[in-house]
Amino acid sequence: MRRRIALWVLALMIVAACVIVMLPGASYYAQDREAIMSGANSHHWAGTDALGRDRGVRVAAAILLGLGGAAVAAAITTAIAAGVGALAAFSAPAVASILMLASDLFLSLPWLFLLMMVRSFLPLTTSPLHSAVVTFTILAALGWPACARAVYRGTLHLRSSEWMIQGRASGLRNTQLVRRHMLPHLLPLLIPQFLICVPAFIVAEANLGTLGLGIAEPLPSWGAMLLELDNSASLATSHWIYLPVVVLVLVLLLLESLTVEV
Amino acid sequence: MRFGLRQLTALMSIVFGLAAHGQGMAKGPGELAWAIRYDPTTFDPAKVDEQVSEELRFLTGGVLIRLNRRTQQPEPELAANWKVSPDGRTISFHLREGLRFSDGSALTSRDVAWSLRRVLDPATAAPVADELLAPREVKVEAPDALTVKMLLPRRVIGIENVFDEIAIEPAERPSEGKVTSGPFTVADYKRGQYVSLRRNPNYWRHDAAGVKLPYLTGIRLDVLNNREKEVSLFQRGEYDLIDSLPPDYFGLLQKKNPSAALDLGASLNTEEMWFNQAPNAPLPDYERAWFQNKAFRIAVSQAVHRADLARIAYGGHATPAYGSVSPANRAWHNDSLRVPHEDVAAAAQLLAKAGFRRNGSSLVDAGGHAVKFSIVTNAGNAARMKIATLIQQDLAAIGMQVTVVTLDFPALIDRLMHKQDYEACLLGLTNVEPDPNTQMNMWLSSSPNHQWNPSEKTPATPWEAQIDKLMQEQATTPLQRDRKLAFDQVQQIVADQQPFIYLVHPNTLYALSPKLAGVQPSVFRSGLIWNIVNVRRQGQK
Repeated sequence: MRRRIALWVLALMIVAACVIVMLPGASYYAQDREAIMSGANSHHWAGTDALGRDRGVRVAAAILLGLGGAAVAAAITTAIAAGVGALAAFSAPAVASILMLASDLFLSLPWLFLLMMVRSFLPLTTSPLHSAVVTFTILAALGWPACARAVYRGTLHLRSSEWMIQGRASGLRNTQLVRRHMLPHLLPLLIPQFLICVPAFIVAEANLGTLGLGIAEPLPSWGAMLLELDNSASLATSHWIYLPVVVLVLVLLLLESLTVEV
Repeated sequence: MRFGLRQLTALMSIVFGLAAHGQGMAKGPGELAWAIRYDPTTFDPAKVDEQVSEELRFLTGGVLIRLNRRTQQPEPELAANWKVSPDGRTISFHLREGLRFSDGSALTSRDVAWSLRRVLDPATAAPVADELLAPREVKVEAPDALTVKMLLPRRVIGIENVFDEIAIEPAERPSEGKVTSGPFTVADYKRGQYVSLRRNPNYWRHDAAGVKLPYLTGIRLDVLNNREKEVSLFQRGEYDLIDSLPPDYFGLLQKKNPSAALDLGASLNTEEMWFNQAPNAPLPDYERAWFQNKAFRIAVSQAVHRADLARIAYGGHATPAYGSVSPANRAWHNDSLRVPHEDVAAAAQLLAKAGFRRNGSSLVDAGGHAVKFSIVTNAGNAARMKIATLIQQDLAAIGMQVTVVTLDFPALIDRLMHKQDYEACLLGLTNVEPDPNTQMNMWLSSSPNHQWNPSEKTPATPWEAQIDKLMQEQATTPLQRDRKLAFDQVQQIVADQQPFIYLVHPNTLYALSPKLAGVQPSVFRSGLIWNIVNVRRQGQK
């Protein structure tokens, strides 16, 4: 029940965000320089930020960008994890050990430092959209190892199940076994992994944004918007300044609700 | 998941502004406290190379001559008087009688000569020695107990200012601030926490009523790099002053306590952007051609709305900048400077004349290349980030597509200084002194700090050659009027050529406790504490 409500609310938020972004005249980057840090008014229903940009439109765009990017990244990460986990489970013990060692190595990487390095090596003319793609791709590339371990354990368990032994006895090749039997049985493991990754990636992107390493301006990112709250002077200007953090918490809460109930 | 809890904690700390410092201890009566942003790199006054150590030297070091931060005139300090010979190659100091160090020992010409020689010694590597142009060839003599002579191989313009930066220490007993001839001594230092200074009981000055100075019994400098907390501790009365108050907090402070927030108007500092004109930069030829094109640079300058930058990025606490010298620098500002003023239509016309044309909403050059470039700046400077985003929109109006890139400082410096791998850069320049001599390294074409085209073997353009000539001229001409004429011309060439597109002069913003008396705020460095010996708490005897 809770999951269903969460799903509906999330869907409603996405639809509302789409409508807000597509409204005529809505722009996440246009600067209304005569209305800096304004409260709600007839032009900007949720006020404006420190550069006079419509806060409502920016938050709506951030919902779409954050959710979309995190969902794609989570899908990639889950796919990599499924591939690595299944490969390890079906390989010789030595190969499995190497693969798991590789994932441990990945887990122990100082990923924030790595992200900073990668970001500074990017061509400077990387457009904001490309910077978003790169940010989520890096997150996807770094997020798979923990999930791969879970998949590996799950696959090992499934591999020794009776129906797998029967499949193997019937002459099915490994690829057929994986496709026909393993994947459908792994889904209950992969879907929660995917759903856990989505909010984690949203938070990770927000953190990168606060360090100036995430999505480039003028694209709206949670991190850049949360930075406004880092300063008590701007907190006093308008209550609407809390909108990004309220919406972010709500989105994360809804995503976590989806995860719990699977 | 790997990202979960740790990131959420980090996020929460950003949201709620948690800080993990333990500053704001109780201070004694007659004691002042304020924050320094980082630990001093040295307590040795001869080796000072950054702002916090410089502040400590200012508070503890006794000097021969002190520069009055209000009048910009040198005033006698440990030296009762001094004399520069007509050829400018000898400067003689006559010391005050009865001078003592903080430990009670006598201060004589021997100590002065030793301190000066120590600064000149290449083994000390004192940054201030370079200001004497050829420190190895400088001789110091102490003919009697109260006289010291410095013999220079050639004239140094504004030589008096150099002695404002040389602290006199006991001969053969350098103590890193523990035994000083200045108003305070270093009493205690806890790394990462605080520096505690105690009044020097043997400081030479008295007020008009004969009371020994300084009035204050001590100073505590907390190491704190958190503006939010610094402002909050100031509001609670734990701190007595904040130098370089961020504009965001100025309004907040002004609302709560109008007399505590001081805006002294334009500072000497500038925020500017420039294009990479270096011939060896890894840029396509057509891009380099844009950046080396004067019309292109002027058009960019004309398209930027500086008043918006000052109003939006600095909350109105900045002054639009059109030239290299701030109007606060009254001695050197060229009042009749002709500058390209903001005019988007004129910018578009200028670009059209230079062979650029519009293709839909974007601008293309004669070869059909769309005008796209990035502006790099350092991460973590909110005002600079806002400026970059505002310029992004301003330049979109003339069809230029700009991406804004923030890099951490080491990565930025690597690109600027070593690889020259950038297109345009936005940074600020902190001018400590008004004299143009301190900007030599920026204007001389051979200098590695000649940002738009560093370390040129020969000047790349006639106007850069002209700047070189004029800067050398102002550095060697003894007459102030001739120096000013030469530097006025440099300012005009820079305004005509726009190698640096000046944007704003951030205002000098201070927070100062209304309970203090005797402070004379100045826009020049050490602007709140330059006359610390005369500062006291109201009601303090």
